[in-house]
Amino acid sequence: MSDLKPISALGAAAPRLLTLGTLTLRENPGLGLASLALRRGGTAPSPFGLTLPDPGGWAASGAYAAFWTGPDQWMIEAEGRGEEDFAAALKAEAPGCSITEQTDGWVAFEITSVAGGAPLSRLMEKLVNVDAAGFGPGHATRTGLEHMSVFLIRRAEDRLAIIGMRTLAGSLWHAIETAAGRLVAV
Amino acid sequence: MTRLSGGLIDRDRKLSFTFDGQVYYGHAGDTLASALLANDVRLVGRSFKYHRPRGIFSAGSEEPNALVELRSGARQEPNTRATVAELFDGLEARSQNRMGPLNRDLLAVNDLMSPFFAAGFYYKTFMWPRAFWEKLYEPAIRKAAGLGSLSMQADPDHYDKGFLHCDLLVIGGGAAGLAAALTAARAGAQVVLADEDSRLGGRLLAETLQLDDAPATEWIAALEAEFASLPNLRVMRRTTVFGVYDHGVYGAVERVADHLTTPGAGVRQTLWRITAKRAVLAAGATERHIPFANNDRPGIMLAGALRAYANRWAVCPARRVAIFTNNDDGHRTARDLIAKGVEVAGVIDSRKGVHPQGSYPLFDGAVVSDSRGRLGLTRIEITRDGDSQWIDCGALGVAGGWNPNVHLTAHHRGRPIWDPEALAFVPGADGPAGLIAAGAAAGRGELAAALADGATRAAQALADLGLAARLPDLPRAEASPAGQAAFWHVPGKKRAWVDMQNDVTVKDIVLAHKENMRPVEHLKRWTTLGMATDQGKTANVSALAVMAELTGQSIPATGTTIFRPPYTPVALSVLGGGDTGRHFRPHRLTPTHHWAEARGAVFTEVGQWMRAQYFPQAGETHWRQSVDREVLAVRVGVGLCDVTTLGKVDVQGADAAAFLDRLYANTISTLKVGRVRYGLMLREDGFAYDDGTVARMAEDHFVVTTTTANAGLVYRQMEFARQCLWPDLDVQLISTTDAWAQIAVAGPQSRALLERVVDTADLSNAGFPFMACAELSICNGLRARLFRISFSGELAYEVAVPARYGHALMQRLMELGEDLGATPYGTEALGVLRIEKGHAAGNELNGHSTAAMLGLGRMVSAKKDAIGALMSRREGLAADRRRLVGLVPETRSGKVTAGAHLFTDGAEQTMETDQGWITSAAYSPHVGSMIGLGFLENGDAREGEILIAANPLEGESQRLRVVSPHFVDPEGGRLRV
Repeated sequence: MSDLKPISALGAAAPRLLTLGTLTLRENPGLGLASLALRRGGTAPSPFGLTLPDPGGWAASGAYAAFWTGPDQWMIEAEGRGEEDFAAALKAEAPGCSITEQTDGWVAFEITSVAGGAPLSRLMEKLVNVDAAGFGPGHATRTGLEHMSVFLIRRAEDRLAIIGMRTLAGSLWHAIETAAGRLVAV
Repeated sequence: MTRLSGGLIDRDRKLSFTFDGQVYYGHAGDTLASALLANDVRLVGRSFKYHRPRGIFSAGSEEPNALVELRSGARQEPNTRATVAELFDGLEARSQNRMGPLNRDLLAVNDLMSPFFAAGFYYKTFMWPRAFWEKLYEPAIRKAAGLGSLSMQADPDHYDKGFLHCDLLVIGGGAAGLAAALTAARAGAQVVLADEDSRLGGRLLAETLQLDDAPATEWIAALEAEFASLPNLRVMRRTTVFGVYDHGVYGAVERVADHLTTPGAGVRQTLWRITAKRAVLAAGATERHIPFANNDRPGIMLAGALRAYANRWAVCPARRVAIFTNNDDGHRTARDLIAKGVEVAGVIDSRKGVHPQGSYPLFDGAVVSDSRGRLGLTRIEITRDGDSQWIDCGALGVAGGWNPNVHLTAHHRGRPIWDPEALAFVPGADGPAGLIAAGAAAGRGELAAALADGATRAAQALADLGLAARLPDLPRAEASPAGQAAFWHVPGKKRAWVDMQNDVTVKDIVLAHKENMRPVEHLKRWTTLGMATDQGKTANVSALAVMAELTGQSIPATGTTIFRPPYTPVALSVLGGGDTGRHFRPHRLTPTHHWAEARGAVFTEVGQWMRAQYFPQAGETHWRQSVDREVLAVRVGVGLCDVTTLGKVDVQGADAAAFLDRLYANTISTLKVGRVRYGLMLREDGFAYDDGTVARMAEDHFVVTTTTANAGLVYRQMEFARQCLWPDLDVQLISTTDAWAQIAVAGPQSRALLERVVDTADLSNAGFPFMACAELSICNGLRARLFRISFSGELAYEVAVPARYGHALMQRLMELGEDLGATPYGTEALGVLRIEKGHAAGNELNGHSTAAMLGLGRMVSAKKDAIGALMSRREGLAADRRRLVGLVPETRSGKVTAGAHLFTDGAEQTMETDQGWITSAAYSPHVGSMIGLGFLENGDAREGEILIAANPLEGESQRLRVVSPHFVDPEGGRLRV
């Protein structure tokens, strides 16, 4: 294990956590990410037992999950493996595919509601031009948020992940925090 | 004037407010307009051009007259319609467009000079002397003719934005809108109901018409209760749908806190973009007036407004009123006012043979032909069959019929069509797709018809979407017939106002007709009719009717008035939305940003990036001291710079090498694994596009870098090439710019420093030569990538680690390199170092330079094709003889200015004799003077020549000597040691 100490995308030793009303925002540095793209004519593998989802989809299996990012292309998530060389592990699971390390290309903000899906719908209304009513559990999409490109994943009725570019972490957190804070202020 | 009985105001809640400094009281539920009328304030402003006294004309968002300034300090807000400003405790309002007190406005002198201000006056007068326009005439006219003033302070409030999606958007919460929303919501559709008012009901709130033999408010209350229980219906009050945009997107502004003293922690307004599969436009109708002589006095208003003030707000501007009408609706106003105890001095009906509908004097076949009252109406002149008489009254309601609010249906250049029965323009068939008008907005404003139409249209909209809806049981509505006659204005010699807001009279239209400004578009611009905040809501159709009379054509043959967004004024603040200041746009922070910040770095914005520009140290008082020190540290020791911002793209696949051969001008496929090559991309037109490095990590795996500025563009270009140009190639791409923190370690001591962090690799010149790359581990097992590349001309490397470790790696390198002189350097030093080495950057790669100009002509391989290669050989480009040169001042202390143009010594300085220009300049601590790079005609053959660098903008002229662009180590020995 290296003796270098990592910092979070928001620049601190510990990930940021904030509760605003019924919503909790959590920076998730433990999320390992690697992209998986099929070679021309290749068939989709089932890394870690995952069934790679169709466009707009997200599928989970235990600590692993995958969401569609383009034709023949997915992002594979591994909870708790942010510090490891997760791309190497995925490569072993998906031989013959193009795998690229993506963990630190992104920052994942996990948003949890203690009042069901409604507060998440309200939050989405203020952040993204995506119809929350048609974005139930198992949906993932890429969209714009305050001039930033993000992935949006509905992990459960009461859980939404917003995955943005790591270097934009501060601006993205600010946008989410502001919107969530205004829901409380109303 | 005391309040009338009834109304929808909360008499238990008294609110104080000021108008022009005077304290008044109103009630919750009042608008500023109703509260002013309740306090006997009829005069509220001055007209645009003539500064005529003006009062409240309407009871809604169509108001042309009662424009006021609200609030004070930074929240001062001009041109707000008093008729839609909800009263709150402590509201401050002021009249505007006046000089001196409102009742003695000095600029009222304009009214005496009205012959000079006729239609198009500013096109005809003030033409001479020409220079006077900007300095004298225009400022004077602006001062005299105008609207409110700005505070010139930043808006202290927050504005928000949001997105909604629905099956059906119902625009307007009156009878038709409520029926539509009810029908759709009960059918289970996702429904948004938006209304500009603070409460639902629309015109029902202003009427005494009964529903199921009970006040309409009872039906509305029951509906609201049901609405609250329907989760699929979202009711948005105080929300104006102001525009229809492509693909079923509607713009709406929700006035979240305009009715509060301040928004507190919340937002003032929210801009909503509503994506609706279908929309029902139930925006109601706007009453029109009938122009007659001096019809603009305070106290003269729309009859429907007079009725609304009495019924909803329990106020009337006078004890004794009269009604001037061409239809039955005017009589209804008279009946309602009498029921409230107001004395009706008479109903003047242009129609002959009509009968009174209540106990009031009726003048049938008569018109109002003039009025009196300096600051407010006192008398009107009634003319019947040539005989005139004056009667006293303090208010006059004018009922000229109703214009459907077709505005939104015209937003995709839909053209309303003339309905000769309704005597109005109704929505045409070519309006925005999916938008269906209902009720009064469709010309079906009679109450029972409006209710039924709302329900039917909603069901029709849902049927389009495959949703079945049952029509609800609608309440039985009291009849409200219109019985209208085509009567548009009272002819006469005196001025009769058509457009109150812009002071456009019948005479102006006659003049426009005389001057051949007859098409409606010309009429508008010649007279300013229909402009400004009300966009002619109460004027346009009347003006068309007058013009039709003059041309002898029908109204539809004369023209059609169409509309564009916004329906009512929208504040720029809410359109801007979101953050101002620091968070105005997103910022990208490098992995070492916080480290650099802690060291006191000065940052510069590079696109979205915040980059360390230089790192000042104690005792340094000028940025040049810091930069010179940083540059020298790289030349003699080792410098560290975060270069994460350079774009990185991971390229994999069996055809990755072939793909890169087509993308780069030079050959990539011959690159060996573990080696890096400098790559040059051309644009399709043959000009140089971007440069970077290509590292081959495996046979089928490359990592390419781009410039910081072009990172996104090049990646997009690569994806385009992959997906569209050569989809047959087996190539996979993904950006890894953010994933890796990349630090440049540059300088003669860089190898010594890196050897202290690398775990096992051999970094000797033989083991890891110039342009080598490797995946290895550092600091006891952290995966890393090492590239031996140099931007500075020194022995140099770039080391990459997962971004989260960038901060710690920088710290570690600084600690371990202390004895080697490790020094962080910023973008300024980076720039100096690359100019000293003669490397091209954004200043040279500006889209106007060719590979040959950059001295890279031989990189464009003739052995293969690549994007832009063919076009780079076309005559126009290939013949360009400008070449990149180095420039130094003839005397050491001389200046080199980027942007200056180069001329042969002694030659005339003209466009024709221009020899090139300076692209980059810096002070070089290595050379000991300023240096520059530039493009010069035949530059590669002019070394040693003295040129003149002319900077005429600043009156500067410098003598410069042409030298090699490589000021440092032209043989490249240093980076290969």
